[in-house]
Amino acid sequence: MIEVKHVTKTYGKKKNSFKALKDVSFTVPDGASVAIIGKSGSGKSTLMHAMSGLDRPEKGEVVIDGENILVLKPKKVDAFRSEKMSFIFQSFFVQGNESCYNNVSLPLEIAGVPARNRRTKILSALRAVGLDEKVKSRARDLSGGQKQRLAIARAIVNQPKVLFADEPTGNLDSATGAVIEKLLFDYNKKEKATLIIVTHDIDIAKKCDVMIYIKDGKVESVTGGKK
Amino acid sequence: MKVVDIFRRAGRNLRQAKGRTVLTSLAIAVGAFTLTLSLAAGEGARRYADNLLKNNIDPQALYITKDDSLTSGDGGNMNLQEYSGDTAAGYRPGSTVKMMTKDDIAKLSARSDLKEVVPFYNLMPTYSQFEGISKKYVASLSYYDATIVSETAAGTVPQLGKQIGDKDILVPEEYAMQLGLKPADLLGKKVSITFSRAVQTPSQEQIEQAFMSGGQEAVANLVKPETKTFEYIVSAVLKKPAMAMMSRPQLQVSTGTAKVLAAFSEGNSATAGQVMAVSALAVGAPEATKETLKKEYGYTVQTAKDAQGVLFSFVNILQSIVVGFALLALIASVFGIINTQYISVLERTSQIGLMKALGMSRGGVAKLFRYEAAWIGFIGGALGVILALIVGTIANPLINKALELGNNHLLVFVWWQIALLILGLVLIAIIAGWFPARKAARLDPIEALRTE
Repeated sequence: MIEVKHVTKTYGKKKNSFKALKDVSFTVPDGASVAIIGKSGSGKSTLMHAMSGLDRPEKGEVVIDGENILVLKPKKVDAFRSEKMSFIFQSFFVQGNESCYNNVSLPLEIAGVPARNRRTKILSALRAVGLDEKVKSRARDLSGGQKQRLAIARAIVNQPKVLFADEPTGNLDSATGAVIEKLLFDYNKKEKATLIIVTHDIDIAKKCDVMIYIKDGKVESVTGGKK
Repeated sequence: MKVVDIFRRAGRNLRQAKGRTVLTSLAIAVGAFTLTLSLAAGEGARRYADNLLKNNIDPQALYITKDDSLTSGDGGNMNLQEYSGDTAAGYRPGSTVKMMTKDDIAKLSARSDLKEVVPFYNLMPTYSQFEGISKKYVASLSYYDATIVSETAAGTVPQLGKQIGDKDILVPEEYAMQLGLKPADLLGKKVSITFSRAVQTPSQEQIEQAFMSGGQEAVANLVKPETKTFEYIVSAVLKKPAMAMMSRPQLQVSTGTAKVLAAFSEGNSATAGQVMAVSALAVGAPEATKETLKKEYGYTVQTAKDAQGVLFSFVNILQSIVVGFALLALIASVFGIINTQYISVLERTSQIGLMKALGMSRGGVAKLFRYEAAWIGFIGGALGVILALIVGTIANPLINKALELGNNHLLVFVWWQIALLILGLVLIAIIAGWFPARKAARLDPIEALRTE
């Protein structure tokens, strides 16, 4: 369960200050798929950063599995992220120079998984996204859709409990986007992992269990979920 | 993240930017190359000097002088000295030197901690003649130093420490060549050496008598210098040695003969029997004897080790100059590394952001960049060392030929020095990579992921 309690985040200082999040509170049950919807500048990305511990709001709590990650030491938050969370971004952020294998290996290395246990995990993650024939290909040689699939393989290889996807289909055409969506929801269902999609696309949002609308840094409405 | 994994990723990152990596490490390679060669040259020179002394000088040998200006490099005292019976003109114009007198030498000879006390006789023959050749030559003459190894081109010399016979004379190979003779042809030949000395000042009576009997001519005869010719047999022709310290060509006679010759040419002048220095062999530890002589008489003593020190310090000075230049090259390469790594950090902000999002700690990110720098240092170091080894292997025979070093190599590579050098370069590279690594570690992942 992820509980977001009274989170407030301000950018800048005094006169130039800008409140990106204003007293945001909601709860996400384990294994749910959640859409955070809002226009650009609404604060939805900031919310994702706060929930993943990448950012530190000055007020509020983000409690994941009973632990408030906002008060943990940086190293602990890093370890927490590497073990329990993962990310998918609009612009993929795969390492073009590295092979697919080594791209997927990165989170395992960061989490300190012993080398002998990595291979099977990496290969099964690549198989899950249908890239099992591209193991040795360099990431830069892949198409956009393949890159995002590679990013998904990288995201799921360490079986995270929470998967954040920031506009995952934003750079893709609708057909490829549909494939990516399916992969994300499949992982969500199969592994009972929480999927949090940040988007402004209502069509994806409608497929989620919970929809959280953000406007001007405030939660406007929460639909679908049990509040 | 495990160190091995960071290390391998760092290596891969560099491989993916090959051109940049090679160019950056070339800067280090230049320093490494110079350092390796200068270390090798220093080592070679020291070993050569060491061999030279070991082969040439009895470790017990002492060189004793009364005047420390002789060994300090001043070569005599330039000030006006008070006359004390043992001061004389030094070999440097205008200088004076305190001489060892007969009494001093007798004192040293009587000591039980010294043996083979030999004064540095100053022999100045008028001319020399070789059997079968009518011309007269002016040849330098000295006495045979039994503490130094001599190689012969013909004939034999006694083993180290033994003097040659009093009727023997040694001729350098160069003289044989200049005379147009093979070394072996000179063996058994007679060499006549002619000395002249001023006769004693005649008394007033003697002059008057001579004038009465023979007129002006008889007086001139009375003060005519007395000449005497000594004859010796060539027992060996000496090679110009590869390991010689001072390979001046000289005729050499035994110390006993030298004493006789010196006594003749000095006559009984006021300074007769005075020498600048005395050589001797220490019976006990040379260092201890040196201290005793200094304490008891105030003499300046050089041991074989001191001579080595003089040579070594010369080598060290030359070496440190070259090392200094190499260090300058290294400093330049440090800035090269800093610059390249800074650019690398800027280019890879999104990668850094991603790694941080995936839970890589600040320390992990910093390590990644530091290890990349370490790799650059290692590659540069290895490159420079390998180049130096190749150059050294090619150059050694050529240098030997040019400098006539015999079997001594001027460039001696010592493995532990090379290993230490590469390790040092890796450390320098890591230090250079420190600032870019810190910048990478401090990148805000949110900002970094916003790029693109």
